[in-house]
Amino acid sequence: MVEKYPINIWINDERYEKLRQAGLADMAEEVLAGMRVIKLQCTEKQKDEILRLYPMAKFDTATTKSIELIPSDAKEEMFNLVIRRKSLDVIDEFLKNVKKSG
Amino acid sequence: MIYTGHGNREIVERIMPVSEARKRIRGLKKVDVTGRCARECIDIAYGFFTPLQGFMGREDVDAVCEKMTLKDGTLWSIPIVLDVEGEEVKEKGIKEDDTILLTFSGKPLAILEVEDIFGYEKAKMAEAVLGATDERHPGVRMINKLKDTFIGGKVTLVNPPEFQPPFDKFWYTPKDLREKIAERGWKRVVAHQTRNVPHTGHEWLMKGAWFSANGDLPVEKLQTGILVNCIIGPKREGDYIDEAIVLCHDELRNSGYFREDIHLVSISLWDMRYAGPKEAIFHAILRENLGCTHHMFGRDHAGVGSFYDPYDAHRIFDEIPEGSLNIKPIRVLEWWYCPVCGEVTYSGLCGHKEKRQKFSGTLIRSMLQDRVKPTKLIFRPEVYDKVMECAKKYGFGSPFCTKRYLAERGPVFVLSDM
Ligand SMILES: [Zn+2]
Repeated sequence: MVEKYPINIWINDERYEKLRQAGLADMAEEVLAGMRVIKLQCTEKQKDEILRLYPMAKFDTATTKSIELIPSDAKEEMFNLVIRRKSLDVIDEFLKNVKKSG
Repeated sequence: MIYTGHGNREIVERIMPVSEARKRIRGLKKVDVTGRCARECIDIAYGFFTPLQGFMGREDVDAVCEKMTLKDGTLWSIPIVLDVEGEEVKEKGIKEDDTILLTFSGKPLAILEVEDIFGYEKAKMAEAVLGATDERHPGVRMINKLKDTFIGGKVTLVNPPEFQPPFDKFWYTPKDLREKIAERGWKRVVAHQTRNVPHTGHEWLMKGAWFSANGDLPVEKLQTGILVNCIIGPKREGDYIDEAIVLCHDELRNSGYFREDIHLVSISLWDMRYAGPKEAIFHAILRENLGCTHHMFGRDHAGVGSFYDPYDAHRIFDEIPEGSLNIKPIRVLEWWYCPVCGEVTYSGLCGHKEKRQKFSGTLIRSMLQDRVKPTKLIFRPEVYDKVMECAKKYGFGSPFCTKRYLAERGPVFVLSDM
């Protein structure tokens, strides 16, 4: 099995409405009292690149098994890309954009 | 007005008027104390630790470790000791019957009448109080870091702390609180111990405990209050910042989630030992001194890792002699969100265990970290706004303690130069 490195994006009511309009509502998994999460799966290479771009971020192997502590504005940008592309497969484009602007 | 605290003993304030103190401290040998000892000096002087009037001598520490009492038999579960280097005691020639000046960051704080100077076996203390000697337990690390010599004796504050905003508004001494409680006409007060910004799981814990405490009292004019007592002590990276904890609890009342006449937020200075059941007893004693009649204990109260069973802190109350504590424990299971019930509900009531969604500190922190406002069933929007305001105002942008916050945060209290 290929190792997975998800990034969890929180979905509150406001974001859920946008997801629904993008036809992606089914991708959101309910976690707690209407708070949902979507998982953006990264390859090992993408994970390493993200950890390099955001030195404070880390892959939490112990509890969440996800890439945590990515700055909130970067995650916001990932969510916006999901809505624009109507797809969860946005990490490559995200990384390209960051490198272009950085 | 005389107020009775733990052990049916009068709450005594040991504070010297400044004019007298200025004269009294002249020429005394000085010992600069750690942050913990400074906080405990203040606690002792205002009666938070009634019946203690000073740091413990050997006999009291022995009794606490061996019998969970003071030497006079009063229930007590955690040693309160002043630790110094033996070298310093020798150098300064400090001996029994001396009066010394305790300073904190170089400023005068309190005088101590030396009654006992002694060494103690730390492993014995850790085993007795924490039931552990493993360094992974933060309480064990704390005991192991104590300096090698303890000085016991009565403490008198010579320089009262000046609490800084926003904490000044929440600093009530035991006497202040007794007055507040009388003013509000509360016959019963249920304590909530916290070091967290509240989510609705905490809110329901408090509400459930209020129902339990209010019990048989008439309901036309409410006579039961909730005292949210925030613990202020050392912080670790990733903890909620202190300012957010007190102001967000206060926000719950300001926004009407608790009525104005049944809710009060205050702070106590205390360095958590994470002693699980023994710490639960200590918290009960502390809140008894604050005038509380009931104390809520949830799952894994004051525990750490898997050192204690989640309900050890409930069961210890079955083992103490009747009449040794004038405060009743309210034992609480878990509050969770149930999608079938469609509400936050209680594990002792809801029969959809397999569908339950547990409140998890980690999940909620992750939402806050990402600046995604949680649904109001989990986290009140006003509390979310307040926690973010605190992040900006006090936390250098974060609601959680960062290295920068730990290094540069504003002090909780300051001492004057006298
Ligand atoms: Zn249910």
